[in-house]
Amino acid sequence: MRKILLMAKRDYVESVRTKAFIIGLVVAPLLFGGGFLGIAILKKQPDLHEKRIAVLDRTALVAPALVRAVAEKNAKEAYDKITHAQTAALYVLQAVAPAAGDAEAQRLALSDRVRSRELFAFLEIWPQALHPGRETKPKAPGVAYYTNAGGIDTTRNWLREPLNRAVRSVQLAQLGVEDGHFEDLLTPVAIDPMSLLMRDARTGALQQAKKKDEIADFAAPFGMVLMLIMIVMVGTAPMLSAVTEDKNQRIFEMLLGLATPMELMAARVLAALGRSLTSSAFYICGALLVLQGMAMMGSIPLHLLPWFFVYLVAYVTMLSSFASALGAACNSPQDAQNLATVLVAPIMIPFFVMMPVMTAPNGAMATAMSLFPPFTPVLMLLRQCMPMGVPAWQPWVGLVGILLWTAGITWVAARIFRVGILMQGQPPKLSEIIRWAWAK
Amino acid sequence: MPAVEIVSVTKTFGEVTAVDDLSLSAPEGSVYGFIGPNGSGKTTTIRMIVNIFYPDRGQIRVLGEEMSGARNHLIGYLPEERGLYRKMQVRALLEFFGELRGGRNVGKEVSAWLARLDLEHCANRRVATLSKGMSQRVQFIAAVVPEPKLLILDEPFTGLDPVSADALREAILDLRRRGATVILSTHDMTVAETMCDHICMIFRGKKVLDGTLASIQDQYSNDTIRVAVGGGLAVLDDLPGVEKVRDLGQVQELRMALGCDPHEVLRALVERTRVTSFSVAKPSLHDIFVRIAGPAAEEVEVA
Repeated sequence: MRKILLMAKRDYVESVRTKAFIIGLVVAPLLFGGGFLGIAILKKQPDLHEKRIAVLDRTALVAPALVRAVAEKNAKEAYDKITHAQTAALYVLQAVAPAAGDAEAQRLALSDRVRSRELFAFLEIWPQALHPGRETKPKAPGVAYYTNAGGIDTTRNWLREPLNRAVRSVQLAQLGVEDGHFEDLLTPVAIDPMSLLMRDARTGALQQAKKKDEIADFAAPFGMVLMLIMIVMVGTAPMLSAVTEDKNQRIFEMLLGLATPMELMAARVLAALGRSLTSSAFYICGALLVLQGMAMMGSIPLHLLPWFFVYLVAYVTMLSSFASALGAACNSPQDAQNLATVLVAPIMIPFFVMMPVMTAPNGAMATAMSLFPPFTPVLMLLRQCMPMGVPAWQPWVGLVGILLWTAGITWVAARIFRVGILMQGQPPKLSEIIRWAWAK
Repeated sequence: MPAVEIVSVTKTFGEVTAVDDLSLSAPEGSVYGFIGPNGSGKTTTIRMIVNIFYPDRGQIRVLGEEMSGARNHLIGYLPEERGLYRKMQVRALLEFFGELRGGRNVGKEVSAWLARLDLEHCANRRVATLSKGMSQRVQFIAAVVPEPKLLILDEPFTGLDPVSADALREAILDLRRRGATVILSTHDMTVAETMCDHICMIFRGKKVLDGTLASIQDQYSNDTIRVAVGGGLAVLDDLPGVEKVRDLGQVQELRMALGCDPHEVLRALVERTRVTSFSVAKPSLHDIFVRIAGPAAEEVEVA
């Protein structure tokens, strides 16, 4: 044990002193949080240009109501309520009477105006728009939206609500409903998300339901899992290239005269754990300070911190021993770079399925994937962070799975490591690496 | 009690038999030379002694104990493939290796060795800034702090200048005088002849020589003539009873065929040129090595 601690201490001290580690501590949150930061910055810098949209109304009824509805929506959403400064683009609708002659020629002329950027888009409204529930054969068009906007065009979504409002108001007028009732009839009913009521275990007092903060409900589990991933990456990512580098520098033979391959690998894993715990202290303290400043401490599931650390230790052990084995099988930094994708797969796959898991955290897919040991740390923690939680047995079954998996991976990795670190020359084939695991 | 005892050890890698039924015994307190051509199984044997590889068959006892790595803290090992942590400072690195080998407060010992091998001025330098020779001396110190009972050196003199080589040679012999056993793997036959009490040669995984230099040479008759002559190498052509001529520069070595009379050779030489030196001797270790592992051995193998 003394040897393992000595080697781990050396590896840890040498690695946390490096610029790469210090930069990694800062860069990792920027990298992961960069996307959200970008969105936030873009939201602060909205496009305030007018968007002119022509309305070719073949009903002769909807266009005036639509122009009115759009103006109301502009007034409600495009200006800051306190400063009255414009915060979003204004939509300006321009009614165009249908031409008596060739309809295609009129559409082409409008298309040319869109192409010349005189217009942003144009709408064509047919009489069928007033009877969307009526089936026709062949299917009659209702409303067409012509544009050459690429990527994600939010305008069509923006127009949906005023268009429907305009159509409904025309329909209501046709039914003889007075204008004064329109607001009540057309305003959708909101559903307020509330937490569950509960009784205080100590005092027995009833705790009232509170209005839920949907952003916090999303951000807390997402943030916690993101932090786990970041810390694991900072701790284990350097392992692959470090082992390859030491192998290239022929250090291992000297060390193997003094320690067993298992001790060598254990020291590396311990150093990786040290790195991860160092970065976790940095990130967790930082996150708590930020949340304290934002008065959002209540939204963090602090009771899950023990699970967070259990998953962290298991994840780092599993991935760092895996990285050691891969690194030992590589003969050059290029080989190591190529294999880095294999190493990050157990992190990236659960990362990519986070959204579907958050949508149905107790669905069959989410449950099955979170019980698959390589994905357990990310997905089980994510599910545990969700307000409805998981059945009590699942984290324990997941934990047993990940402990068995980690033990197995570490054992196989140690055997590959033992042979790989002394191998030089041609990079080994996969079949050869598998053979190493069972070699005497 | 031998410091290292290997009994009928075999080690294979897939189809290749690296060490084949090898037995040897390195006496305690001796310098045991380990020679053999590249790929003959020397490094594999050494790796088995230090517990890096495990034999498929046979037994290895190191310092009286069955091979288990338990005695590794008493073994100093300088592998052929040199490697050090390049970013570490020399002193920190040596103290790290010293502590790893079970030493405590090894600072004084490290300082003494740095002074002895003229590396004091490098103590606080990073390994990456050292020359090859300096790195090699640093690695030697890493193998001898704390002082080992068994020192295994794989090609320790490669790349050293004569001054450094002398300092290292003196250090090795000094360790032997203090009771350490030294296993010295080398391709330099002069080193083996001058430093080793016992010599073992392995070839294609098998032991082919084992004993003191004298006892090995005794296995061969006085079949070698060392001469210095005027008139160039041409005068040595077609000498009666001479099988092979080896030019060493200032001196030439002639190998006599069985039953050849050296007086006849001398008479023939004197008739051709001026002879400044002539001696009949047993073959050198180099010559014995070449006879065993040279191209002739390959031909015998093919036949």
